[in-house]
Amino acid sequence: MTAINDLNRRQFLGGALGVAAGATALAACGSPDAPAPVPSGSASASAAPTASRPPISAESGKLSILEWAGYEAAGTKAQTAGLTEAGSAYTKEFGPDGLAYTYIENDEQALQKATSSADFDIMHPCEEDVKNYVDRGLTQPWDLDLIPSAKYLAPGLMEQTTYNGAVYMLPWDWGYGSLTYRTDKIAAADATGWELAWNEKYAGHISLWSGAQTNFEIAAMKLGLPKPDDLTDAEIEMCKAELIKQKPLNKFYWDSEYGQMQPGIQSGTLWVAYSWQDTLVTMKAAKVPVAFMDPSQGRIAWFCGFMLGANTANYYHAHAYVESFLNKAACAQMTNAYAYGTANTQVTAADVTDKALAESLQISDLGALTSGKNHLQSYTANLDKITKAWQEVKAS
Amino acid sequence: MKTLRKRTTTGGQALWTWPPVAFVFVLVVVPLIFVALYSVGLRSNIPGTKTGFDLANWKDFLFGPTNPFRALFWHSMTITVVVSIAVTLAAYPLAYFLSFVARKNRYTLLLLVLAPFFTSFLLRVIAWQAILNENGVVNSFLMWTGLRAADDPVTWLIYSNFAVVLVLFYSWIPFVALPIFVVLENMDRRLLEASEDLGSSRLATFLRVTLPLSLPGVIAGFVFVLIPTTGEFITPLLVGGTDSQLFGNQIQSFFSVSPDWNYGSVLAMTLIIVVLILMLIFGRFLSADLRDTSTRSAR
Repeated sequence: MTAINDLNRRQFLGGALGVAAGATALAACGSPDAPAPVPSGSASASAAPTASRPPISAESGKLSILEWAGYEAAGTKAQTAGLTEAGSAYTKEFGPDGLAYTYIENDEQALQKATSSADFDIMHPCEEDVKNYVDRGLTQPWDLDLIPSAKYLAPGLMEQTTYNGAVYMLPWDWGYGSLTYRTDKIAAADATGWELAWNEKYAGHISLWSGAQTNFEIAAMKLGLPKPDDLTDAEIEMCKAELIKQKPLNKFYWDSEYGQMQPGIQSGTLWVAYSWQDTLVTMKAAKVPVAFMDPSQGRIAWFCGFMLGANTANYYHAHAYVESFLNKAACAQMTNAYAYGTANTQVTAADVTDKALAESLQISDLGALTSGKNHLQSYTANLDKITKAWQEVKAS
Repeated sequence: MKTLRKRTTTGGQALWTWPPVAFVFVLVVVPLIFVALYSVGLRSNIPGTKTGFDLANWKDFLFGPTNPFRALFWHSMTITVVVSIAVTLAAYPLAYFLSFVARKNRYTLLLLVLAPFFTSFLLRVIAWQAILNENGVVNSFLMWTGLRAADDPVTWLIYSNFAVVLVLFYSWIPFVALPIFVVLENMDRRLLEASEDLGSSRLATFLRVTLPLSLPGVIAGFVFVLIPTTGEFITPLLVGGTDSQLFGNQIQSFFSVSPDWNYGSVLAMTLIIVVLILMLIFGRFLSADLRDTSTRSAR
């Protein structure tokens, strides 16, 4: 053994132990990475006085936005999917360069990214997760005085996103989740309920979404369980077994609507896929024969909206951005582009260009969200158990 | 054979090595410590969650009677070993051809083999999607030739274990061929001539001389595939189906989708331990300099 080896090893081990001790101490001190949670019912949840904040001219205007693909502001290079009004007022006034989007593929991933980063100025989750965002201290209330269109948002939806008198999520878009199927491949008699996704005749041509909560809701609805968002441990196990049974019938679980699911349906690789109603519009425009199933057990209904980051340094820019999405023109164009409903009550049936589609999806009737057999997605206290069970389904 | 002069170094000289060592330590060891702490419940990614030493996740993973993640681990290891063996077997003839047959043109051909790898790995995998899709190059060809009906494409070409193995095989061939090529290139050809002069057939010479002397390159190539493939997740994500996801996908899913980093950390630590064991096993067979085989001293 040479002297150089002896010396290096001694020095290396000594230094390494020092660094390791420091790292361990660093790792052990203070556990959670994100800011301390704000209890949803606490007084600190109310909006801070606007006057105490620096003016908009002092803000950088660089907004970090947690968003679904296709929802980028009009005027940005990323917006290619069809929104021509939403966000345009903002990009005209402030320019598009300050907008940076981080994309999400499902609700659980959105919550995870928001928790891991905690630096988003604006987030676009759905109602069932609002409490999680509030409880984790990821968000702060909106100042409705800075958003002129807020007074036109449906009060029934606003109530569900209000905690202790403060509005944490401004509802924007709503719609349904169901199975879109190729009418040239699937017998109409088979497309009557969620069991279509379990039909072995179509094995290898089915694709459910990668969303954990949604898939457990689908399984619960198929099984006829009364509360798909309030499952007992035994019911979670039942749903898990049902999803494990369904798993081999899938081509894949899709993550990307535009990159995987819609091209799959269009090419004929997929005959049945979980989707939202915008896929119906897109496929019909591409002259692909599809239908958006109205299951005997009901569709899944949802509404999503904008949340303000707890630590945003662009408070006024964030409000201006969201106003540019909530105004009537932006909401009406979004409805016509994607066939989603909007929370802005100024938009009526008269604003919807495709009357037949509007009628079939009831997109100008907010009451449709909860009417009949539709299941409106809501907060689940068992989210951790469901996501773990979903991981087990995927690994099985 | 030249003998290296023994040298000593001072503490001052050794200090120069500390910046890179500290860099690696901070970027590799410290994150590993964090992952280890998550795996035993001493940290949580969810604000407000109580932390405390807890081996429940480890017990569930290692001893849970029907734990699906353990089964997935063995499935992934099987895929990894199959790919590593297949790639090594296929890379050897390629390296042999380049070194012993191509002769003058060997470096040109080597460059051609490596050319696709100057583009993004992601793009190359996506290109395979275009080839293997139900309306892709292969199926279109089969339909054009009448071997398959227009509405009956071969469905197992993509989103299957076959697709995952095929794309991994393609991805790693050059990286395995290279170390074998280096060893073959530096082999003392006089040993081969001597073997033939002594009456050995070409096959016997290959089996008794060429192959044994090239084993360091073969093992290096095998390890080059084996270790990274154990944690592979991009390829199965893009061309794998629901039943062909690997252990790496599950880890990625726990960290990016599930709120449960603690369980994901158990899986991640398992993989790290497996890789360390593989490195310990195979490291002793590897020479730092693949050219430094016993053949050099015979020159």
